[in-house]
Amino acid sequence: MVVPKGRPEVRIAGSKLPDIPLPTNCPGCGVGLVIDELRARNFVCECGHHFRLGADAWIALIADRSSWQERWGDIRSHDLLNWKVPKPYQAVIEQLMEEGLNEAVRTGTCTLNGRPIWLAAFDFRFVGGTLSIVAGERLARGMEQAASSGIPYVLVSASGGARMQEGVLALMQMAKVNAAVGRLHAAGVPYFSVLTDPTFGGTAASLALLADINVAEPGAAIGFTGPRVIKQATYENLPPGFQSAEFQLAHGQVDLVLPRTELRRLLAHVLEMYP
Amino acid sequence: MTRHGRKPDETTLSVWQVIELARHQDRPYALDYIKRLAPDFIELHGDRLAADDPALVGGVGTWHGRTTMFLGHQKGRSLKERVARNWGMMHPEGYRKAIRLAHHAAKFRFPIVSLIDTPGAYPGAGAEERGIAAAIADAVMEWFRIPVPIVAAVIGEGGSGGALGMGVADRVIMLENSIYSVASPEAAASIVWRDNARKVEAAEQLQLTSRDLLAMGVVEEVVTEPEGSARADYDATAAALDEALHRHMEALLTQPTDELLQHRYERFRYIDSLVHAEPEFGPKV
Repeated sequence: MVVPKGRPEVRIAGSKLPDIPLPTNCPGCGVGLVIDELRARNFVCECGHHFRLGADAWIALIADRSSWQERWGDIRSHDLLNWKVPKPYQAVIEQLMEEGLNEAVRTGTCTLNGRPIWLAAFDFRFVGGTLSIVAGERLARGMEQAASSGIPYVLVSASGGARMQEGVLALMQMAKVNAAVGRLHAAGVPYFSVLTDPTFGGTAASLALLADINVAEPGAAIGFTGPRVIKQATYENLPPGFQSAEFQLAHGQVDLVLPRTELRRLLAHVLEMYP
Repeated sequence: MTRHGRKPDETTLSVWQVIELARHQDRPYALDYIKRLAPDFIELHGDRLAADDPALVGGVGTWHGRTTMFLGHQKGRSLKERVARNWGMMHPEGYRKAIRLAHHAAKFRFPIVSLIDTPGAYPGAGAEERGIAAAIADAVMEWFRIPVPIVAAVIGEGGSGGALGMGVADRVIMLENSIYSVASPEAAASIVWRDNARKVEAAEQLQLTSRDLLAMGVVEEVVTEPEGSARADYDATAAALDEALHRHMEALLTQPTDELLQHRYERFRYIDSLVHAEPEFGPKV
């Protein structure tokens, strides 16, 4: 596919991206960072380093201004397994909610260049963006509605995998959301997945890699088993760039590796091409 | 369900003792059951793309008078066999073989029996290079489209996505001393504590025993094991497993295909509906 080229897109639509916590210097090139300059480039340093965004920033980046309508934002996670150590799960959830986060996945409808889409964004700040019952429920409901209404589905992932503190029920979310992805495909509804740093475990091994077009951000770490666990389990030496977006492109797992500055343009373009 | 005169609630084992039973090297493996259920079993090999994964056995056998597709993780018993079978940890080729054999079964309307016994998918560089995440994702999605009845049984370890990749079925049952978990206790400890020595604490919180899963509504039935666990009497355990698998399969064989697939969808779509406390949250979209 040919993506229309041009200047790296300065934000032309959508809302102002929220602040994100930034180091004083870029971990990619060491240059001092100026937040407003960086914000204008969607938090991509001139050296190409992509800073991680939360779900709120992804929604602001992708949705047309004032078009976002959040769905099922009121369903909440609970400590179902009575998980107490090292930290009580219920307290962890409540603290994150107090900080203004709302689960590891937010979902809703919006428009992108005027075209209606379903949008779901993972938030790595909420228990590592882990797939939980609530996350799975929001994803599956949105996909079912997208399948029945024929509206394209866009996913942005950033996730460590399934949430340990919800046990086997978190694992079952992989089956739940994949069944719903199957409905999207059966209905002929376009499904686009944007894989960001990091996407691992049960999220990579379910909906994130099952889209019609999988787009990865440059340098994003994407895989099933994390490098620390691979080294522990197999004593293998992992080559530089192992599990990077570019590695996954070379191994046939993603369709495109595309800078964030060009993402909105690509999505707008494919939404026109895949009616 | 007390073929061998024991009730499942008589056990007083700790969670870690159950895990040790589930992993015991003398515990019957998939082929021990398949050979007892279908003595004429013919193993079929390969994913038709690149390789054969010996961590997963698959093939056809006559079971209760009907040709049936059997799939199962196979651990090895001797060190040599363990290495050859990769301790029952599948590579991407294993999931692709499973789906190939599922389509083969669908062509001939053979029902499918899947026996789960794996620590997890193989956590190695080669598996990553050949797309283990996408292989599992594809398999999990594809199982929802296989138009023949599927009954799965966890016979030892049901480890993480590696197990779920073989665990999408119309009914899922568990042997009493088997486990099914979002991650192995070692991996969960490594994730939550960054220290896999905390595995016992992790195991106690994960709720991974057969009784836990039955209570959560994730599995339909727990099959009791003989005194001294499955390894004490392969024949009796196989007979109990056979009876339960067959009873579930019989109920599915008469279902029209569209109803079967709709129920399979709903089984997983609302699998968490027993446990959530939120009144608004559940099978009411």
